[in-house]
Amino acid sequence: QMGWVVRPCRGEDCGGGSPPSQELAEFEKLPDQVQINDQVLREDGFANDPFYRCLVAEVPPEYRSRDGHTIVGYGLYFFTYSTWKGRNIYMEDLYIMPEFRGKGIGKKLMSKIAEIGVENRCIEMKFVVLDWNQAAIDFYQSQGAVDLTAAEGWHFFHFKGDALVRLAQGQ
Amino acid sequence: MECVVRPCRAEDCVEVMRMIRELAEFEKLPDQVQINDQVLREDGFANDPFYRCLVAEVPPEYRSRDGHTIVGYGLYFFTYSTWKGRNIYMEDLYIMPEFRGIDLEENRMNLGSPGICTPNYAGKGIGKKLMSKIAEIGVENRCIEMKFVVLDWNQAAIDFYQSQGAVDLTAAEGWHFFHFKGDALVRLAQGQTGL
Repeated sequence: QMGWVVRPCRGEDCGGGSPPSQELAEFEKLPDQVQINDQVLREDGFANDPFYRCLVAEVPPEYRSRDGHTIVGYGLYFFTYSTWKGRNIYMEDLYIMPEFRGKGIGKKLMSKIAEIGVENRCIEMKFVVLDWNQAAIDFYQSQGAVDLTAAEGWHFFHFKGDALVRLAQGQ
Repeated sequence: MECVVRPCRAEDCVEVMRMIRELAEFEKLPDQVQINDQVLREDGFANDPFYRCLVAEVPPEYRSRDGHTIVGYGLYFFTYSTWKGRNIYMEDLYIMPEFRGIDLEENRMNLGSPGICTPNYAGKGIGKKLMSKIAEIGVENRCIEMKFVVLDWNQAAIDFYQSQGAVDLTAAEGWHFFHFKGDALVRLAQGQTGL
């Protein structure tokens, strides 16, 4: 029985070669999209007023991955706000290395984020899923999640690049 | 007409809460508001605030019919992308109806349709000023994107945001917005499997 543990990420966990986010990006078929490195991750997560919080899943050394990693998954989240309901928690990333899937680690990370949300009086836990990722959609719905885009028509928008700069300049 | 956009102070929370309720009543969902000005103050003005807020303030001579000088707000918070880093998220943008459709540069009111911002005045008023300020704060803080949501039936809002250069990621890339709430959230937090 593999004794894995879910715990808060520490500053020193941010390194470790190719970040798990790169593996996730490749799965989502968007590998060139990763533009931060472990130093940025550390600065942004471990200063005053962190931009995010993170949990990692760790296995004992005897169960390390083929590449020698003992940190085999992570759940990155942050607190958000609703002017009608108050505090929310947002699950930004959930990733388990492929060789460690099917053991309940993903479910444990997700549960822990939900537990942190409930402990902090958060009303909702939010996240996004790509519409072609039917396995993920089915899993989250089996756990009781609701697709707000399908149910209520919410669309996710962004400003970035030149459009963001122009808006910031009041143009 | 002068309009100043400035950070919300703790004492402004009563006014922001008033406008939050106005928006809920306008959307015919007044019972959906479950927080009050005290919660808003606690959550925004402790260590590690859950949100940040800007207010739009006019001089006393331009106060609203009901006597308010705080006439709009923009509520936002910082978020994170493991691929791009810092982001800024615009949660709410609200201007009292009588202060919409104002061209701040030309100091003209759109008197044709009170409360409705016609296309030729869109992007020149208080809403745009609030939105720009949030974007500016984002850029100053090295945020890569400014994100927000819009309901798919709100064509006026969609058209406006797209005219300003925003991209609909749900339409373009297939992103769907999910949530756990109520019993489902509690069950998940307790580590229970399935429904």
